[in-house]
Amino acid sequence: MKTTRRRVLLSSASAMVAASVGTRAFADIALDPGKDEASRQLLARVVRVAFPHPNFPDSAYLRTADTVLAAANGSPAQRLDFAASLYDLDQAGFAGLDDAAALAHLKTLENAPFFRLTRATTVVTLYDDPEVWAVLGYEGPSFDKGGYLTRGFNDLDWLPEPRIEEYEAAQ
Amino acid sequence: MNQIANSDPAVVIIGSGAGGGTLAYELTAAGIPCVLLEAGAFIKNEDYHNNEWEAFRQMAWLDARTTSGSWRVAKDFPGLPAWIVKAVGGSTTHWSGATPRFRDYEFRAKTTYGDIEGATLLDWPITLEDLAPYYDKAEIAMGSTHRHGRAALPANNNYKVFANGAERVGYKQYATGPYATNAEPYDGRPASIQDGFNFQGDKNKSKWSTLVREIPRALDTGLLDLRPDSHVVRITHGADGKADAVLYVDKDGNLHRQAAKVVCVAGNSIETPRLLLLSESNRFPTGLANGADHVGRHYMRHMTGSVYAQFDKPVHMFRGETMAGIIADEAPNKPERGFVGGYYMETLSLGPSFLAAFVEPGAWGPEFAAIMDAYANTAGMWIVGEDMPQASNRITLSGTVKDQWGLAAPNVHFDDHANDTAMRNYAYEHAQKLYEAVGAVSSHRTPPYPSTHNLGTCRMSERPEDGVVDKWGRAHEVSNLFVSDGSVMTTGAAANPTLAIRQAEYLAGALKAGNL
Repeated sequence: MKTTRRRVLLSSASAMVAASVGTRAFADIALDPGKDEASRQLLARVVRVAFPHPNFPDSAYLRTADTVLAAANGSPAQRLDFAASLYDLDQAGFAGLDDAAALAHLKTLENAPFFRLTRATTVVTLYDDPEVWAVLGYEGPSFDKGGYLTRGFNDLDWLPEPRIEEYEAAQ
Repeated sequence: MNQIANSDPAVVIIGSGAGGGTLAYELTAAGIPCVLLEAGAFIKNEDYHNNEWEAFRQMAWLDARTTSGSWRVAKDFPGLPAWIVKAVGGSTTHWSGATPRFRDYEFRAKTTYGDIEGATLLDWPITLEDLAPYYDKAEIAMGSTHRHGRAALPANNNYKVFANGAERVGYKQYATGPYATNAEPYDGRPASIQDGFNFQGDKNKSKWSTLVREIPRALDTGLLDLRPDSHVVRITHGADGKADAVLYVDKDGNLHRQAAKVVCVAGNSIETPRLLLLSESNRFPTGLANGADHVGRHYMRHMTGSVYAQFDKPVHMFRGETMAGIIADEAPNKPERGFVGGYYMETLSLGPSFLAAFVEPGAWGPEFAAIMDAYANTAGMWIVGEDMPQASNRITLSGTVKDQWGLAAPNVHFDDHANDTAMRNYAYEHAQKLYEAVGAVSSHRTPPYPSTHNLGTCRMSERPEDGVVDKWGRAHEVSNLFVSDGSVMTTGAAANPTLAIRQAEYLAGALKAGNL
């Protein structure tokens, strides 16, 4: 595990530079990142860089980060790997990287268990969020509102009204 | 509800979906008592969730399964080879409702397509002519739109894009159906309110399922003994080689034995062969009815794929009936396209929750985010066509993974045939052209989802050495064992309860004549 992280760091010149200016010592590692606000904020930044939507509110990214942290709360080995990965990101100065540099850094982590868990959890969490639905223009549960029968199921007006009957029946 | 004693040799049906639910209704309506064993819970329409993941967790079959082969599902969703339902009503509770019929030549796939390398094509032992009266009965039961006087559904937003694109590229065979959801009140069920939730179960009961029609009617006869949460783990047989009972587990893990004079298996094309394989014995050492080594083989899932296209104007594809739009122009067999068989194009919509998970599994980053940002301006379609049966595409018992009852999990092995790949690529290209014709600014080729159409693993054959069951779905090797679901499909053209209605008529006649 440590070898993997070291290899990842060594493979990224920008990360090496960033790592050298890190301020936290390994003794500062947050063993329970779910209870550590700095870890939560750092993870939310990871999620935003990986799934960049300028119109999504920070609150949605933080909720997703919380769900990822809960998903990472598995065996001691999993928890340690996740905590160490966040620590490495912090040491790499990830929070201070601009979007392009941050994205490039995440690409170097693409196959790491930390990132795979974050990506897989985000995909089924961030977009399952009513606040995000509102930004995307999705209206969510509809049965209790009578469906879309009188709420625009056929309001598209930039194309002609098409035939609904079968071809032969319409001839 | 009728209670049939466990010791009373009964007609036992395993599974309550399109096959089993229909069979239970047709038999009880003919005066024949039945025990209907369903592995899932009795979930009612009002219990459904208008939320994709909540509904998935409520309804989907999530028992342990494994995958192998070169299909992409094995990489992206290794524990979820299929997306089917575990509940009373089976997968009819989440199907979308498209009901096109087979074409006559599709029953003669081997004769029509010839020898295709690597494919185990076979002609069916029945013809379209044999099935035509049962198609009529099925369409009338389901209330298919555009058929037997049923009105067409109106055009929703996704259909408007789809149908206009079809017209502009020269397709003619487009319409909002046939589709088994009421456009007007019919058969005691209301008209669609276009709520956009189909794969999550239809709270409004406008969509046909065995949950809203066949099962309540079968219960009303007073002859049905419906047992939910009853997972069959073995079919046993007597010294004469005929099935004599089924063993099942209730939700607390207790084992029960139900004596049987006839056993009808309708567990969908993964669980049905799995159960036969689990039912091995000294007499049937490779699994019940598997002397010819076809149980679990020739697994088909239809050639599928999706295209999602982005526009510079709103679409709101999620409003309205999900699949009420069908194009049939590519359905005929035209080998000059570079593949045999044909495919349909059908409207399809996913909410953001599912689109994120399925549009490009594994993807992340700005390109992925752009697909999601375009959600409101997105139109979608599914492509679904005939895939080639292959002996090596098969259901086997896992040597390592067990289900919650300690039984070997099914492994689903699948490799695309070159014909499947050629058809998919052609279909992607033409779907993208259709959307470009109405101004799409971009479009995305989405790979097949976990299988919703599972077929062929107990195929019907004229000769016992070529398959598992005869033209009535009766096992070649076990005279009172029937397969009553899509597992019997010899080749893959399309799927609905038509075969079960026909089988019920045969079974009722045979039972009344004392021939079983």
